[in-house]
Amino acid sequence: MKTSARAAAAALFFLLSSAPLAADAPRIKGEIDAKQFHDLIAREKGKVVLVNFWATWCVPCREEFPDLVRLEADWRSKGVVVIGVSTDLGKDLTAVEKFLATNDPAFANYHKKSGGDDQDFIDSVDPKWGGELPFSVLYARDGHKAAILSGKQSRADFEREIGKLLKAPAAGR
Amino acid sequence: MKVLSVFAAALVLAVLAAGPAVAETPAPSIGSAAPAFALTTIDGKPFSLADAEKANSLVVVMFISTQCPYSNAYNDRMRDMAAAYAKKGVQFVGVNSNKTETVQDAVDHARKHGHTFTIVKDPDNRVADQYGASHTPEVYVIDKAGKLRYHGRIDENSDDASKVTSPDLKNALDALLGGQSVAKAETKAFGCSIKRV
Repeated sequence: MKTSARAAAAALFFLLSSAPLAADAPRIKGEIDAKQFHDLIAREKGKVVLVNFWATWCVPCREEFPDLVRLEADWRSKGVVVIGVSTDLGKDLTAVEKFLATNDPAFANYHKKSGGDDQDFIDSVDPKWGGELPFSVLYARDGHKAAILSGKQSRADFEREIGKLLKAPAAGR
Repeated sequence: MKVLSVFAAALVLAVLAAGPAVAETPAPSIGSAAPAFALTTIDGKPFSLADAEKANSLVVVMFISTQCPYSNAYNDRMRDMAAAYAKKGVQFVGVNSNKTETVQDAVDHARKHGHTFTIVKDPDNRVADQYGASHTPEVYVIDKAGKLRYHGRIDENSDDASKVTSPDLKNALDALLGGQSVAKAETKAFGCSIKRV
């Protein structure tokens, strides 16, 4: 009894002492270029993937983001994956981390690699994308791009598109 | 026959449902007629694109914002280019289509940043819709015949004007003023969505 109480206390101490470390850990999962972005999407084949491109300086992005956090929590178990990609400049990574700490998304967020010509990245995501933010792309379970959503969307807008893709039969079945 | 038309309708519906949904009208293509518009400047004067085309060699229509950091990153570049190219017969026109920004906001912003080029307010974002403009800053260059010759960004480096390697708007204007075609007539960059009605 004494031993288990000591173990519980030790576990509690470990959890409490490691909490600040977790909070301080970088929330950005890494930097990605166009190729790495497409590799990322390919790895999620079999799931409906919603990618949201955002930036801390973009007011509608900031307004839209909390809806994505809640949406992901509700749809995760139904086979939906949300991925965030910050397009902030490299010098603004502190603001990016602060924004993520405030919103606390459970989904992965990446940072678009700085440098180079943004046009190459924009075109590789979708030739119809003019560069406006926020911008979201939905991929069906077979990995094909199914919809692009320009500008700020409501949660209902996202859920309508996701619902369509979840209803569609998965390719190869 | 009936079955065929039902099938065709279903096919069209299926294609539409599967295709990506873009919010705005696509921009007019390079070489096509730039949509005509007439609006009021932020200092209360009438402005007509047709009149500007007649009076100048080229017209640069720039969708701008008072609040967007990306648009604001170009404030000095817009001011300097408008002044430099005015001497060469190029008129710069700023179009503010954001519903969240008032005429007074635009007046204050222009005064603060020394923007003496024409700025018009686009109520109900009709001109932004006609041009398929999605964000700020986004520019369109129109020639004397009213044809669209360039669409896209000012340059590729919003962060640092001194490190620009692809001055796309300048290249387009210089080429057109020199009687040449624009090598890179369509470019892209990140920007703020136009806040539509």
